[in-house]
Amino acid sequence: MSDQTKYANQIAVVKQECPDADEGEIGKEFARYEEDFLIPPEDALRSVIRKFQVSTGAEVTTNTSAPVREEKKVGRFSELGPEDRNVTIEVAVVSYTPRTQMVRGEEKQIAFGWIEDNPHEATSERVRWDYKDWGNKGESMIPGSIVRLEGVSVNEWNGKRSLNINRTTRVTVVKEGGGTAPPTGNETLTIARASEVEGFVNLVGRVMSAKPDVIVRKDGSGEIPIVRGKIADDSGSIGFLSWKAFEHEEGALVKIVGASVRKFRETPEIQINDGTVIEAYHDTSFPDITKLSESDKVSIADLRNGMRDVSITLQVENWAQRTYESQDGSSKVVRSGDVMDPTGRCRLTAWCDFDPKPGETIMIEEGRVQFWQGSPDLVIDSLEQVSSLADAPWEKIDPDNHWVEVGLTEMTRGGSRRGISTGGTIVAINSGSGIIERCPECRRMLRDGACSEHGAQIGEEDLRLRFVIDNGVSNANLFLGKESSESFLGMSMDDIKSEISSIGKEAFISNLRSRVLARKMAVHGRCAVDGQGAMLFADKIEVVDPNPAEEAEVVMKKWEVVL
Amino acid sequence: MISGTGSRRARQSAIRIFAQEYSESSLIERGAGEYDPSFVITKLGAKVNRCLVCGGLERMERRDGDSGPFYRGQVRDPSGTHYFDVAPFQPELHPDAEELLARFETGDSILVSIVGRQKSNESEDGGIFTSIRAESFTEIDLEAYKSWMVEAADATLRRLEAYASSQGAELNEEGLRVAGVPDDLVPGLLKAREHYSEFDTEAYRVWILKAFSRALGRAEETPEVSIDDNAKSVDSAPVKSVESADPRDVILGIMSSSGGDLVEYEDLQAACISAGASAEEAEDAIEHLRDITMEISEPKFGFFSSSS
Repeated sequence: MSDQTKYANQIAVVKQECPDADEGEIGKEFARYEEDFLIPPEDALRSVIRKFQVSTGAEVTTNTSAPVREEKKVGRFSELGPEDRNVTIEVAVVSYTPRTQMVRGEEKQIAFGWIEDNPHEATSERVRWDYKDWGNKGESMIPGSIVRLEGVSVNEWNGKRSLNINRTTRVTVVKEGGGTAPPTGNETLTIARASEVEGFVNLVGRVMSAKPDVIVRKDGSGEIPIVRGKIADDSGSIGFLSWKAFEHEEGALVKIVGASVRKFRETPEIQINDGTVIEAYHDTSFPDITKLSESDKVSIADLRNGMRDVSITLQVENWAQRTYESQDGSSKVVRSGDVMDPTGRCRLTAWCDFDPKPGETIMIEEGRVQFWQGSPDLVIDSLEQVSSLADAPWEKIDPDNHWVEVGLTEMTRGGSRRGISTGGTIVAINSGSGIIERCPECRRMLRDGACSEHGAQIGEEDLRLRFVIDNGVSNANLFLGKESSESFLGMSMDDIKSEISSIGKEAFISNLRSRVLARKMAVHGRCAVDGQGAMLFADKIEVVDPNPAEEAEVVMKKWEVVL
Repeated sequence: MISGTGSRRARQSAIRIFAQEYSESSLIERGAGEYDPSFVITKLGAKVNRCLVCGGLERMERRDGDSGPFYRGQVRDPSGTHYFDVAPFQPELHPDAEELLARFETGDSILVSIVGRQKSNESEDGGIFTSIRAESFTEIDLEAYKSWMVEAADATLRRLEAYASSQGAELNEEGLRVAGVPDDLVPGLLKAREHYSEFDTEAYRVWILKAFSRALGRAEETPEVSIDDNAKSVDSAPVKSVESADPRDVILGIMSSSGGDLVEYEDLQAACISAGASAEEAEDAIEHLRDITMEISEPKFGFFSSSS
């Protein structure tokens, strides 16, 4: 839909005031307000009129006839027309989903959700509409409650109507809702629980760190001062980002009311805005900063993309440095290697002259985590962040035999990791198992002799197997590359090729099915976990031969069943 | 709501479940959107979209429907019978289904493992007949079958424990979590507790014990495929969610909800059995409605429709 039709109503009003203004330009201006500033056209009207009055030379009067509309009170959505503004209506809040968007380097909080009219009647008597909250009304728009909205406007788009709640809208809570929404009353959450929700929370925690920082606006218009830090309780810790002055020092115990939790990459973070209240809190039994920082040490299994301020102990497996040419032509050095702890392996990258020896135990502070090929990569920027430990807190890990046992469910609920072993039953063989052709340019699988990126190609043959592994509670896509497929099938790729050409692809898959389906497998490899599920890349898989008598004994013991 | 093209939906895990728990279910949760998964929710709160079941193949047959051939079968485990089918629109499974059919027709005892999706038919009076639309299946050996029984017993015991924990807990998600119900069982158990009335869980323990004693090799091997056991089971048809509804009502219910489509004889019979009738009662009811009251007709052999 073009700006012209979307903003037709508003454009007409502007044209009334500034007859010389170009409609296309007016439309663009509204689009700019909506997209760049997140200001809905109703709110932008006055500013847009002013702009065109100035640019078209029309007389600027302080008393424009810009619509000051009569308040319209209604009981039902059906009484509303597509152009109604300044509407007063009572509604039930069904959902409230906050969303933070970066707009020109600034954070804007908007929200959307469902509301229902006729809120004092049964649900079947109500009509449900979408709404958008442009005015940060999250504290009143609590799902389950009934609110009176004064000064909302109707928005019609693609024939569907919704309500816009603007900054000037007054929201009065008529009836408080219970419900599952994050509490905005006085109830506080533990930090572990707050890390699982999205939306507004209250919590009590100790300030572990607080440092001033700046966010540089991308358009070069300046910097925004912020404060970054971390707060902790005995359930865990969480990073925070404060958009306003943060006056509490390290070690202070604070209660934070009305902070919003959002995710940076895969790491939850709390945002402290103008509406957030922070006050000193008194609880002599609350753990002190030494104790909290002790328990705040993480292990490789805990690492998530986007983490900051990470303290961790590691054993170095190998180390290498690489020189490359940077954009300005000078040569730069980056050092990296594989590191381990009892919970797994990951990569470590150093942007400083750090040269540990294989086998050395090191401790890192204030590290940050980014992702490299779907696995966590710890990054340090300065030598001060790392110290060498004479004694490892664990027995020396043998890198050649370091597989960490992880249940499939624990794996799918955790982060991406390397060096794990897990198990489950194969419940599906996915298409694309067997001999495939890859694009010589990018290694993508060719479909009908063509790559989605590079067009028709003479493919390079490759072998892979794709299964789904499942334990009844969780599942993961299991991938076997050429080497692990060959060793699992006990055949070379050439043998497999000739088998497929003699019996056909269907028969090959059917044979594979009778061989792996419903079989338990033990898998060694690495996993990548994202919002859509887990992928397990196998170095090695083995069929676990069933031993029902032993399995039965274990399960009976677990549930205290006696025959 | 259609989600963006880039998003994958998380795959549903395959619930290990004995036939009795599955067939007793009368709570169906239909996905709101076109691509949202639907679930059969059992009395113990298992939310079944996909399941992994095993058992002795008790019946296997090919049928020709309007949209092509399809297959239908039953597997028996220590608790009862799972019904499954392979649809006309799953031609990739037809060669394997043919092979399984051929194996079945040799008269050998066959143990199979089936991964499939929930399927349910509802009659007008609320009677629910649950079955499985197979996604893949394979013949397995006795050791693998025993191992599955142990896994299914483990999963059932886990649900029984969660069910016990939910007694006296506050019936909301937080309440169940606090009572120690594992996260993956919370939503299903909450719905189950709201829908089903109190029931005795002792029956569940009976076939769990049966499964263990077979896994330990203390009971006779594979009675699942013996004819005697089969016949007995019809007599001792367990109490179903809809206690012995009149099979005629069940049939008429299915007819009125079939939207004018022809319904197969086997489906009608299975639904009656699921509603507590014996096979003979189901047969009588079908004949009665067709020949005496003429409320249903049989325009094609083996396929029925409502007369009205």
